[in-house]
Amino acid sequence: MSTRRPVAASLAVLGYLVMIGPLVFVVVTAFTAGSTVRFPPDGFSLRWFGAAVGYEPFVTALVSSLELAVLAACGSLLLGVPVALAIHRGRIPGKGLLEGLFLSPLIVPELVVGLALYQQFMVGLGMNNFTTLVVGHTVLMFPYAVRVTGASLALVDPSVEDAARGLGASPVRTFWTITLPLLRPGLFSAALLSFVTSFNNVPLSLLLQSRDFRTLPVTMLDYVQQSYDPIVASTSVLILAGTVLVAVLAERTVGFAKIFGGINR
Amino acid sequence: MRTRRLTALLLLPGLVLLLAGFLVPAALMLLSPPGTGTADVFARLGQMLTDPYDLTIIGRTLGIGLTVTVVCVVLGFPVAYLLARSTSRWAGVLLAVAIFPLLLSNVVRTFGWLVVLGSQGAVGQALVALGIVDEAPQLLYTPLAIVLGLVQLFLPLAIVSSYSALAQVDARLDEAARGLGAGRARTFWTIVVPLSWPGVVVAATLVFAGSITAYTTPYLLGGSRQRMLSTQLFQYSSSTLDWAAASATALIMTVLVFGVAALSSALGRKARIA
Amino acid sequence: MSAAEFRAVSQVFGDFTAVDAIDLTIPDGKLTTLLGPSGCGKTTSLRMLAGYLSPTSGTILVGGRDCTTTPPEKRNLGMVFQSYALFPHMTVADNVGYGLKLRRTPRAEREARVTEALEMVGLAHLAGSRPKQLSGGQQQRVAIARAVAIRPELLLLDEPLSNLDARLRLQMRAEIRRIQAETGLSVVLVTHDQDEALEMSDQMVVMKDGRIQQQGSPQEVFPAPANRFVAEFLGYENFIPTNDALLTVRPEHLLVDPDGVASDGATSGGVSLPGRVTDLAYRGVDVLVTVEARAEASGDPVRLVADLRATTAPDLRVGGDVRVEAAPGHVVPLPAG
Ligand SMILES: Nc1ncnc2c1ncn2[C@@H]1O[C@H](COP(=O)(O)OP(=O)(O)OP(=O)(O)O)[C@@H](O)[C@H]1O
Ligand SMILES: [Mg+2]
Repeated sequence: MSTRRPVAASLAVLGYLVMIGPLVFVVVTAFTAGSTVRFPPDGFSLRWFGAAVGYEPFVTALVSSLELAVLAACGSLLLGVPVALAIHRGRIPGKGLLEGLFLSPLIVPELVVGLALYQQFMVGLGMNNFTTLVVGHTVLMFPYAVRVTGASLALVDPSVEDAARGLGASPVRTFWTITLPLLRPGLFSAALLSFVTSFNNVPLSLLLQSRDFRTLPVTMLDYVQQSYDPIVASTSVLILAGTVLVAVLAERTVGFAKIFGGINR
Repeated sequence: MRTRRLTALLLLPGLVLLLAGFLVPAALMLLSPPGTGTADVFARLGQMLTDPYDLTIIGRTLGIGLTVTVVCVVLGFPVAYLLARSTSRWAGVLLAVAIFPLLLSNVVRTFGWLVVLGSQGAVGQALVALGIVDEAPQLLYTPLAIVLGLVQLFLPLAIVSSYSALAQVDARLDEAARGLGAGRARTFWTIVVPLSWPGVVVAATLVFAGSITAYTTPYLLGGSRQRMLSTQLFQYSSSTLDWAAASATALIMTVLVFGVAALSSALGRKARIA
Repeated sequence: MSAAEFRAVSQVFGDFTAVDAIDLTIPDGKLTTLLGPSGCGKTTSLRMLAGYLSPTSGTILVGGRDCTTTPPEKRNLGMVFQSYALFPHMTVADNVGYGLKLRRTPRAEREARVTEALEMVGLAHLAGSRPKQLSGGQQQRVAIARAVAIRPELLLLDEPLSNLDARLRLQMRAEIRRIQAETGLSVVLVTHDQDEALEMSDQMVVMKDGRIQQQGSPQEVFPAPANRFVAEFLGYENFIPTNDALLTVRPEHLLVDPDGVASDGATSGGVSLPGRVTDLAYRGVDVLVTVEARAEASGDPVRLVADLRATTAPDLRVGGDVRVEAAPGHVVPLPAG
């Protein structure tokens, strides 16, 4: 395919280089034996991986980030799936507007949302930063819960639910025995997307940090700004490995491409 | 009647959180930040739109956003096109490789450019080693660095949107055009591009909106020397605590993003009619 | 006794009346078809009967009880959907057993009844399969077995055959009749296919624009359509205006005589009109002859179509003068207008 379309192929190679190239350098740097981020690295060692795993602030921040991501993913599904149900199955006016409203956190810049919550909740109402973070991340993940589960709800033939009713199932029973099992792939996709997005988020979390509760990406960002040792490289490689694991999990269950951008190959 | 009440019950908790945890605070922050009022915000906004320093930041933000958008479309569309038209087994793997960065932390992705562009980094050292320069040039904290970082960040998005659009264009149309005597290039420009245009519009919108609001990359690769709206907004709201200025900056960012979204949906509608 | 009854039932969507004050009795232990063109309100009527839609006004009785506001899960009716609506995440046996599980039927009895229902539709060997693995016809049978397994008061089928290919459709007509006879269930079947309705019904109900046009057994309705709409729907193509009525004749009952001499029939309630052949369409077994005739009363032109057997058709040519005739027994008078 490359030889017959030389222009397109060259551009594509360039594209992959920009996307993947820097990551290769990060991986190589992480295994350095020296004490600065430089290229080529000074020798080979695993010392910076030991340093990363033993660096208290990163470990604490990792736990915080995981905690926050799980809470946000669960919260957005718990509140967002009913919304998707109401939009797709309920008889209410203004469904388009309602859906737009729930997708709007996707459009408003995250930094702006972060500023709003910082100013109004933490400064204004004196709320603690953990609660503010959970609220912010949950709202930010609403679009995934509403749209992704909504899309898989749209694929469920409503007469299947009608059939269950006709056979004697109450609306609640119908939801648990028919709708929910059929939504499982959509729920899984939404949960995964929410979890990953929340875990990686910087702009929303940035202003909502405190000494007691900091997320990993923000902690790393501060660290890079202050000192320049390869511990960030090794931490990055560990995160990269974790992300690959998540990607493999996604591929094995729902299909990787399907989750992102609704590509059906 | 009963289903109406049930529907309301399903909507209510989500709607309350959306309002209380997002829409109301955002509206209050934009229009009436604490200690100041709407008038202050708009006065500050007026200043910003005339002050040369602020205008430089706005101009830089827009310029970088446009550059990143163009580069992402120019690089992303060919990738998507080759992948969508390929029958090779590797196309699936390459597609996964292109999508994978979407899952990966922006901090990790951007950190890569520090390793590549930093004074001790790969590019600088290579230039010195080749004897092209005596001392590694300062590549970080330049608009180029920010553009590179943002292209890396948003290229996957451009590829995914273009791919979805291209996958819906029947490959047999290409063949039909070729059969009618159109060359490869002509087929591409007269058949493939017009039919996948809506996907390109979506891709460009996502990339542009993402670029002008991204924080991590301009922060790490632009620093205080190459401020963009986002890093400036953080400055106002964390160190100077200038709420009116922060709100005005947030307002500019929000209006820009919504403007681009509106423009794109108008363009998309036009493309669908054409 | 009646299995179900509609009393002045209407369904209004916004300002559109989909079902307009219909009165209808579904007889016990019989097969009733609702027949009519697309959009006439058949599905809407069936969904109101099943409880998925509340009527805007009127009363619905099932087994003599007022069910107007009862939700579907409390009606105990078996519904077969046009799309079959099988539960894709359950096996065939679990699909059929779903309703029994909800009724807390003991396991042993449940299994026996699932097997019985599947045997009735000839699919006992597919009990462990998933719906996706079955052909359209098989899915259809599972849907019927699932609806019948709960021993419903009524079996409701919405266009059950429209997704099947022509051969299977004929086969399933007979099968549904057999199941109805075996179980003695009262069945309501929606269709827009008049042949299906004629072949299957004990009682047929013809609808148009949300209103019932005619109801009765096929033997009552077919030879005596109540109005022009029903006549057209049942395949009467020739409409001849006279002074006091509109006469209708089926194409296969028209005779075309090239000699153009009036016979006796015309005088005693039959039809006999002069005309000119405008088109001949040879179709293998038969020939369609289009004749431009003139109504006796008004002198207006009337287009008539005769369906003649190819082997016995007289020698005709386009442009030739002919006389078109029908025996008195084949001419149906309709109310004018
Ligand atoms: N929920 C609804 N809201 C608005 N109009 C509706 C609704 N359901 C049905 N209709 C309208 O009511 C009319 C009757 O619909 P119905 O589905 O009963 O027709 P039908 O006789 O079953 O036709 P078909 O043969 O096409 O299935 C149609 O014009 C339809 O558009
Ligand atoms: Mg219908």
